[in-house]
Amino acid sequence: MPRSAVYSRLTLLAAVIMLALAGCAGSNNATDGGPSPPGGAGNSLPADRPATAEPSGAISFMIFGDTAEKAAYEQLVAAFEERHPAIDVSLIHIPGQSDYRQRLGVDFAAGTPADVVLLNYRRYAAYAARGALEPLGPYLERSTLIDQADFYQESIQPFIWEGQLMCIPQNLSSLVVYYNRDLFRAAGLSDPSADWTWEEFLAAAQALTRDTDGDGATDQYGLGTEVSIFRAAPFIWQNGGELVDNPEAPTRLALDSPAAREALQWFVDLQVRHKVVPDAVAEAAEDSESRFLNGRLGMFLNSRRGVPTYRTIERFDWDVAPLPQGKQKAGILHADAYCMPAVSENKAAIWTFIEFANAAEGQHIIAASGRTVPSLRAVAESPTFLNPGQKPANSQVFLDVIPWIRTVPIMAGWAEIEELSAEELSRAYYGQASLDEVIRATQERAQPLFTP
Amino acid sequence: MTHRRYQRSLLLLLLPFLFGVTLLVVAPAILSLGLAFTHYDGLSAPSWAGWANFQALATNQLFGIAVVNSLLFVAISVPLRTLLTFGLALLFARPRRGVGLYRAAVYLPTVVPGVAYALIWLWILNPLYGPLNLLLGSVGLPTPAWLVDPRTALAAVALAAVFQLGEGFVILLAGLQEIPDEYYETATLDGAGRLAMVRAIVLPLLTPWLLLVVLRDLIVSVQSSFTPVLLMTGGGPYYATLLVPLLIYQTAFERLRFGEGAAMTLLVFLGVGLLIALTYRLFGGWGYDEAV
Repeated sequence: MPRSAVYSRLTLLAAVIMLALAGCAGSNNATDGGPSPPGGAGNSLPADRPATAEPSGAISFMIFGDTAEKAAYEQLVAAFEERHPAIDVSLIHIPGQSDYRQRLGVDFAAGTPADVVLLNYRRYAAYAARGALEPLGPYLERSTLIDQADFYQESIQPFIWEGQLMCIPQNLSSLVVYYNRDLFRAAGLSDPSADWTWEEFLAAAQALTRDTDGDGATDQYGLGTEVSIFRAAPFIWQNGGELVDNPEAPTRLALDSPAAREALQWFVDLQVRHKVVPDAVAEAAEDSESRFLNGRLGMFLNSRRGVPTYRTIERFDWDVAPLPQGKQKAGILHADAYCMPAVSENKAAIWTFIEFANAAEGQHIIAASGRTVPSLRAVAESPTFLNPGQKPANSQVFLDVIPWIRTVPIMAGWAEIEELSAEELSRAYYGQASLDEVIRATQERAQPLFTP
Repeated sequence: MTHRRYQRSLLLLLLPFLFGVTLLVVAPAILSLGLAFTHYDGLSAPSWAGWANFQALATNQLFGIAVVNSLLFVAISVPLRTLLTFGLALLFARPRRGVGLYRAAVYLPTVVPGVAYALIWLWILNPLYGPLNLLLGSVGLPTPAWLVDPRTALAAVALAAVFQLGEGFVILLAGLQEIPDEYYETATLDGAGRLAMVRAIVLPLLTPWLLLVVLRDLIVSVQSSFTPVLLMTGGGPYYATLLVPLLIYQTAFERLRFGEGAAMTLLVFLGVGLLIALTYRLFGGWGYDEAV
């Protein structure tokens, strides 16, 4: 081949590669919510410009969740765009929650996070502590559409970081007991009462745990739960224990107190002693939530999150009950909020969307999917959420427990503490290590995370 | 075409690949080398850390566990896979009826994308409903919990990885074709059996090819064990399958400690280099004078 021909082909190839790279970069910006192209109207709108100037431009919104949840957010975006035709919202959907978190970390590191991101109250602190989030308190104060006083303060409070409200919470779910009413009937159990105790809870779980085909292996379990400190926490609180020494300014874990230890022992005994929950092999073969969905697990601990999926259940009747009570009342908060990355450019348009999503209209749309316990009092107490014609019939449970709802400590290293404590707790839960050894290891391994 | 011109056109053909490798592998690798000496969370600018990341690794229990696990994984999967590759290459080296089909079957698991491959094995190894345990149970053999039992989890992951041996298989097939038939014929005349032929003819002549396959396998075992553990076990149960690439990923991208992750990457790079040097010495080099 003549050299010149080779060179010209090479130049062509190089040009193609450059074009492809440029194309990638361009489409990244468009779909991943990088800075909008310059010249887009509204880009330079300062955040404090009077609300009379209608913001415009393209913004991106990143969410996680199953298809039912995604559909709800699509509806939200459609309703928003109808009201604000000048703003174009592109939805970025990441199905898995842990994938979502990793994507978020990488996006923030790359300086191109989506313009609106959903963050859990257990995880936003890591970003807030590094100044990666735009505080939304001042925006909320100026808003004529939403007012902080209309929200449940239990959902607002956890998102206050160093005196400033960082994000706008969309929901405040508690941990509740989802139960299969058909299995309860079959076992001769009546519906759980509003003030049932740990003992009654265990008794129900035992009655529901059965070897249905007589082969010596349990086919139907009474209870299922994720094994984590987050799930065990309400039981620790109910028993008078604490997760950390001082929830306001934590300096160490407090799982080694007698009250916390006793509650953890009770939690672990559900598997090692009473065997009312799947063991390690059974859980790996088919996880508890799937067993619940298939009608072979009596009770499953979850937040409101499970509802859109559970509404697809046709084979049996189910409902929710409050957590059983220990020595004192305590529940645990689950809350996600709309946050705005500090590097976002079109802040006026972004706020317009966050404001809409958390005004009555937006919260009604998401609540209708079943996904959230709305953080707006008026929506939470409306038929959209409480509608007895839609499962769960007893949605009121989520509102009844709000007065004694508690939170995990708000600190930058908390997510990592949850991760390592879940690994440790699983060992005790599945009988691979003693609880004392597990508590010792958890305390020791978590300690460095209290001194950032 | 002169030799020089031939070489130059080869280089030209190589250029697009070199361009891509530089952009996507070499440059990021050099950047991450620098990151190893910084504190960097991805959100604020990196700050100089000196050797602090490396000192932290010395007392990092998880890193210790991951290094031991990775070494174990290499110690199980490299010899096992090399032996199996060698055996299969010997078996299917000679042209015969249907050999193309057999060769394709051996190669097939290698073309299955990593994610799909991991999910298939997750199903195969399901302790209660997986086909492997159903099979073992039906013939009265013990049914281990595989990925669930800390004692068998790492071995199970290694077992799953063993069947992705297509590339080494092709290399050894090519190597076997290079051995002239006369050698075998002469050996047969001398009354050599099959085993003697393998020992006296195949092994010595195949040494450079085997070394290539082993070195490649070493690198692959350390590096591409990421996808299976991420999807099949997440590093569990209780860190039994926590391998270094997974820990690097978690440290950098989940815990946003990019400096520490980069330090681990650098140590793995040096560690693999050391393993390669050791293996090279063990084989006594490429087996013949390279000048010939």
